[in-house]
Amino acid sequence: MESLFSEFGAAYKERDGYKLSKTLSPDISNDQLKAIFKSCNANDVRRFLKTGLERSCNDWERLEAEEVKTWVEIYFNYWRVAGELLAIQGSSAANGKAYQSSWGKIYDMWAELLQALTRGYNEYGLEAWTIPCLYVVSNHLRIFAIKADEERSQNAALGNSTELESFDDFDDPESQEHQTLRDCCHRVNRVFNICLADRAPLEESRKWGIYYIANLIFKIYFKLDSASLIKNIIKAISAGRGDMPELSRFPKSQQVTFNYFQGVLYFLEEDYVAVCRSTFLAHVQLLADEETIQAETHLTEALNLCHKDAMRNKELILTYLIPCHLLTTHTLPSQKLLEPYPKLQKIFTPLSQCIKRGELHAFDLALQDGEEEFVKRRIYLTLERGRDIALRNLCRKVFLAGGFEEPKDGAPLVRRSRIPVAEFAAAISLGSQEKIDNDEVECLLANMIYKNLMKGYISRAAGIVVLSKTGAFPGTGV
Amino acid sequence: MASTQTKGDSKATESKPEQQTVTDQKTTAALEEDDEFEDFPVDDWATEDTEAAANQASQHLWEESWDDDDTSDDFSQQLKEELKKVDATKKR
Repeated sequence: MESLFSEFGAAYKERDGYKLSKTLSPDISNDQLKAIFKSCNANDVRRFLKTGLERSCNDWERLEAEEVKTWVEIYFNYWRVAGELLAIQGSSAANGKAYQSSWGKIYDMWAELLQALTRGYNEYGLEAWTIPCLYVVSNHLRIFAIKADEERSQNAALGNSTELESFDDFDDPESQEHQTLRDCCHRVNRVFNICLADRAPLEESRKWGIYYIANLIFKIYFKLDSASLIKNIIKAISAGRGDMPELSRFPKSQQVTFNYFQGVLYFLEEDYVAVCRSTFLAHVQLLADEETIQAETHLTEALNLCHKDAMRNKELILTYLIPCHLLTTHTLPSQKLLEPYPKLQKIFTPLSQCIKRGELHAFDLALQDGEEEFVKRRIYLTLERGRDIALRNLCRKVFLAGGFEEPKDGAPLVRRSRIPVAEFAAAISLGSQEKIDNDEVECLLANMIYKNLMKGYISRAAGIVVLSKTGAFPGTGV
Repeated sequence: MASTQTKGDSKATESKPEQQTVTDQKTTAALEEDDEFEDFPVDDWATEDTEAAANQASQHLWEESWDDDDTSDDFSQQLKEELKKVDATKKR
């Protein structure tokens, strides 16, 4: 505990919030936990903390009585959790006798710690430099909540769910599964509001805590499968944008995470819009593209700013960025880009190859093959739209195979631009060996033309496609 | 007591991240909740350490979605054969 006091004192002297937040991390060795927990007993822990904290700052300032009281409450809860953590790891035997703890209990205590901390801001008015404490405490509340939920479902699976304390009124297993995490979500949302509502001048504003806490809430929403709720947070942030620091002034870890979640959110919206696509409304299609471009912008920003060694996070960013690129710029990841990520190679290489070669049937098979993985990563619907690009490439191959018109003297060579529908039909059914009738082929081609992937028109009477002599396949050099 | 022990044994380790992986492996192997964006070990970093800076030298991360050089693959050959056949039936 002595070292905790001296760190507290040093952090206070330097007004270093990150240093201070370390004193509230439960993420320390068992020996350190033991040292903290055994340094005093339950009867005099508050008094012990009070003298310790006061003494730690005595050399340069006198903490206000209220301020000390606030911290005493905070560290008192921290001390209790230290004891529980030791108990749950079986290495404490608090008071010498066997004692059983649970993550649920730890969660409740940690929630009290967070409450003591937020009271410090709301009632006493802790200074803004201390907000990293909110980060550490909120983040661990999330971690403990997840553990508590896991523990409960394990116990339930073992059939010894004796406790039927329910936060929610409804008892369906879905809602029970994340019961604690949902409670945690409410609490962290409150922290978000503490930061958002601060009216102090920017230099000493808790607004600096907004993005960290927002990111934390995003993580929780994703875990709870409520990604769309992210929008509320983003709205709240942009509503207050006027008196909020620019995102670029925040630490890069927060910028990257915020961009990642925003990008994924847009990406999922696109999915949703794309589902409506089946109604064949042109404006729906446009809307979908709009969302994809937004997603791409945020994900690109996230990737560019990401720490180069954060492989797992880069991999996650690319999981969504690659399908975006396919739709917006019709480009594919190169071998070089995928090289460091075996998982991404496995996911994207087969599909990319089929798209590139225009192997329509093989594309369908690859999509089917990876369906489970694609659905799990929520990229299935977007990848499915890559079929258009595969078809475009196939048609392009037919066009190229057509060669050139008989050269007229002196004139530059012109590609054959009148191509029988039958040739496209043959190409399309090549892989699957399934006969496809001309109406269907014409429909596919009309779609290509509509989407501006191919330029020309279909002459139904003649059974040919007349392609543009200048740029039949826009953007592909022919 | 029994349950305290099973929990305790597997994680007598020091740091939380480790503990977490242990529990994760134990409990959610089936769920595979591994798609969570990770906390960065540091809060901020220099521009030189960003992916953009690291990748500045290496271009060609994205390539065109078609491939004209790869006309020798089986599929291209098959396609050519097939188109010839169509052509032949037309001329007959």
